[in-house]
Amino acid sequence: MAKTYDYLFKLLLIGDSGVGKTSILFRFSEDAFNISFISTIGIDFKIRTIDLDGKKVKLQIWDTAGQERFRTITTAYYRGSMGIMLVYDVTNEKSFENIKNWIRNIEENASADVEKMILGNKCDLDAKRQVSKERGEQLAVEYQIKFVETSAKDSLNVEYAFYTLARDIKAKMEKKQEASNPAGARSGTHQLRDERPKPTSWLARCSVL
Amino acid sequence: MSCSSVEDLPEQCKLTHKITHDLFTQDGVLLKASLGRPITDLNSIGMLCIVQNMDGSKCIEWRPNDLITIDSDTQDQEWAVVNTIGRRQRTLSGNMTSDYEAARARIIRIPLDELKSFKVSRNNQQMQFSTKQGVWQNTCYFQHGNAEIFLSYLKNHVKTAKTRHDRNTYVVVEPNVESQVLNKSFAELDIFTENTTDVVWNLVSNFKQRPYETTMEAFSKLTDIVYYGEGVNGKREMSDEVADLLTKSMSALEDTTSIARSEEYEVINVKPTLPPRPSIPRGTPLSTEKWDGLQDPEGRITEVEGVKQLIFRGGVAHSIRHSVWKYLLDYYPWKMTKAELKSLHKKKTEEYFSMKLQWRSMTEGQELRFSEYRDRKSLVEKDVNRTDRTHPFFAGDNNPNLVVLQDILMTYVMYNFDLGYVQGMSDILAPLLLLMGNEVDSFWCFVGFMEKISSNFDMDQAGMKQQLLNLQQLMAFITPDLAKHLASKDSGNMYFCFRWLLVWFKREFSHRDIMRLWEVLWTGLPCANFHLLICVAILDAEKDVLISKDYGFTEVLKHVNDLSMCLDVDIILSTAEGIYHQIVSSPHLSDQIRVILGLPLALKPDVPETEPTTFSNGNDIGETEEVTLEYNGHEISVVTKTVWALLA
Repeated sequence: MAKTYDYLFKLLLIGDSGVGKTSILFRFSEDAFNISFISTIGIDFKIRTIDLDGKKVKLQIWDTAGQERFRTITTAYYRGSMGIMLVYDVTNEKSFENIKNWIRNIEENASADVEKMILGNKCDLDAKRQVSKERGEQLAVEYQIKFVETSAKDSLNVEYAFYTLARDIKAKMEKKQEASNPAGARSGTHQLRDERPKPTSWLARCSVL
Repeated sequence: MSCSSVEDLPEQCKLTHKITHDLFTQDGVLLKASLGRPITDLNSIGMLCIVQNMDGSKCIEWRPNDLITIDSDTQDQEWAVVNTIGRRQRTLSGNMTSDYEAARARIIRIPLDELKSFKVSRNNQQMQFSTKQGVWQNTCYFQHGNAEIFLSYLKNHVKTAKTRHDRNTYVVVEPNVESQVLNKSFAELDIFTENTTDVVWNLVSNFKQRPYETTMEAFSKLTDIVYYGEGVNGKREMSDEVADLLTKSMSALEDTTSIARSEEYEVINVKPTLPPRPSIPRGTPLSTEKWDGLQDPEGRITEVEGVKQLIFRGGVAHSIRHSVWKYLLDYYPWKMTKAELKSLHKKKTEEYFSMKLQWRSMTEGQELRFSEYRDRKSLVEKDVNRTDRTHPFFAGDNNPNLVVLQDILMTYVMYNFDLGYVQGMSDILAPLLLLMGNEVDSFWCFVGFMEKISSNFDMDQAGMKQQLLNLQQLMAFITPDLAKHLASKDSGNMYFCFRWLLVWFKREFSHRDIMRLWEVLWTGLPCANFHLLICVAILDAEKDVLISKDYGFTEVLKHVNDLSMCLDVDIILSTAEGIYHQIVSSPHLSDQIRVILGLPLALKPDVPETEPTTFSNGNDIGETEEVTLEYNGHEISVVTKTVWALLA
């Protein structure tokens, strides 16, 4: 069968139980929201192919059960993932605090150069908010990870988050390819420097949206 | 403009202007055609929703996304940009009030009780709705080609039947009509004639004398496998039977090997193969009359083994489930009289409420200083809100049954604090509560069920890992080619069956079917870990697809996850039982498999002096031929053991 894509990226959604991982995935893959979601048992994944700078990128996004007890099983699926969305719930302090544990979990089980992004989901529920956007941003700076607040329900920033993560993975991959090619090695490092200032642009964009 | 916190803040929502409640929303849906609508209203993009009104009635609602009238831009977008999922256009700015009113006028609402039929076409891109026979009033176009998702949610809210001539058209069935149709189809499915049931029943009454033999003879007619000759004292244990059978098979194998060398057979298959799989029809459910007849005047259940056999064969009639399950789940002891049960019930009720009081009386301050309790409570709350919410019993806001679900799980936390609450438990409890409808009974039944599967929820997941390993071993024994394929695709650890095992297939079947499957499994028949054979049966049916399409790690997982709600519980049970018989009568049965299924281990070679005699004294069915037995109109091929051994 002919390949219908240029790149295949394996992404992973992790975070505490009930933060909205499945809803985020459902919003991104189906552009829909369901009030009566069921908890994820075990693991599942969905596919969506996006167009990224003229390339067809197939995203295979894995959704995991959040409860700590199941981690021995779910971490088996970390292998090979190129990007990880760390999700917390802005109305749940504990889920935010646990992001640090999830990062440690990634360090132990995923490849070292995996791209990461922190998502503060349910930002539509302003009345119940326990974690301010600033605290989210601060954590992101601390770990040097990109951050955005999302609402799967109102379809806010979900597309943006996945496109951003995919774009970063693609850039990193192309850089690696260039690096392995002796002629392009120098320009590869140069591009890396260009990439860095980007975080300001996502912050700006996030507040506009 | 939207009340965004419907699920979390039901109270608040009621007070706001929002009087409807979105149960499901699908964006990127274009209104293609709508009878009686001006052309300007068409071809605009919007959101297709399933909405619940204040009075509980539901409707399908299409809402335009853009509040301005359609310009040529949108028209272009319709066909040209179909495959690119662009950034969503949700124009919330602008002149809110007047635009909002204009948009409101363009909303299309189809009350679900008026919906007559709907249809999915054009490769999941188009969906049409009809409230009047023969006319498709509304046509929607799904930009992302995912109409099947809306379809599956819609089907949760209306009862449908597929039409005969077009498999993509669904006709909404009125509830009473549907039950008639169902009853009829059940009657058609009924494989036992009235007479046979009585015959079976008479045989079942003989359980005291020959419990195991009687059942096997009556139901499966697998005479040559397990039932051969009369027991010496007429009261043989199943284990003895199996042991005899095993030694017999072993000697048969030895015999044939030596014969084969001297006689005309030249090729002996080196790879051991299993005997053919017998096909064993399912039986009828345990009926009210039978159940009543099983109780002695004081209300004790006599013939427990016989009852279990009957339930294993056909399940329990729904009308008596609430009573029978209490016994199956070790809440009510079989041998208790009605009077004893009454006092037991009183005692259990008190015990339940005293445990419930323990957490109910916890003050806010205590909770603040008790993080382990708090964490469990928060997990319970989260899961209760997403357990079977599409089922009418748990649907809607402020549903009192959700409170009961939560109370039982919280009380279980106090009952077994070490285990606490683990995801999956709410799935286990929901059907029990649905059936019992009573807090105390549901709790104790839940306790009984958890007793059977608590290792699934081990902190280190040791129980789950052990089961996955056992499943892997069973697969290698029963369907080695599939086991080999899975191993080559990095799926040998069977992790893709995790969900099946954790909640005993709860997510794979409808409520009606899961009740049937569970009650059969609770009997503990015909062997330990029969639920693993259910896994094998399901996978065995998918074997050809998995292998021929060369499914890899991800495809296997996807395929298995997508089997949910597409499985036939009766076929699977029948297959699993067939597999069980294949295993116990296979000459190369290993101790490893015996241990998993709780079968007695093989006898040491020096013990069986008497086997040849047992063998020749066996039964009168020819020893080297296939016998076709007629059973209730079904032809069942039974190959005698000697033939099976020859095949090996």
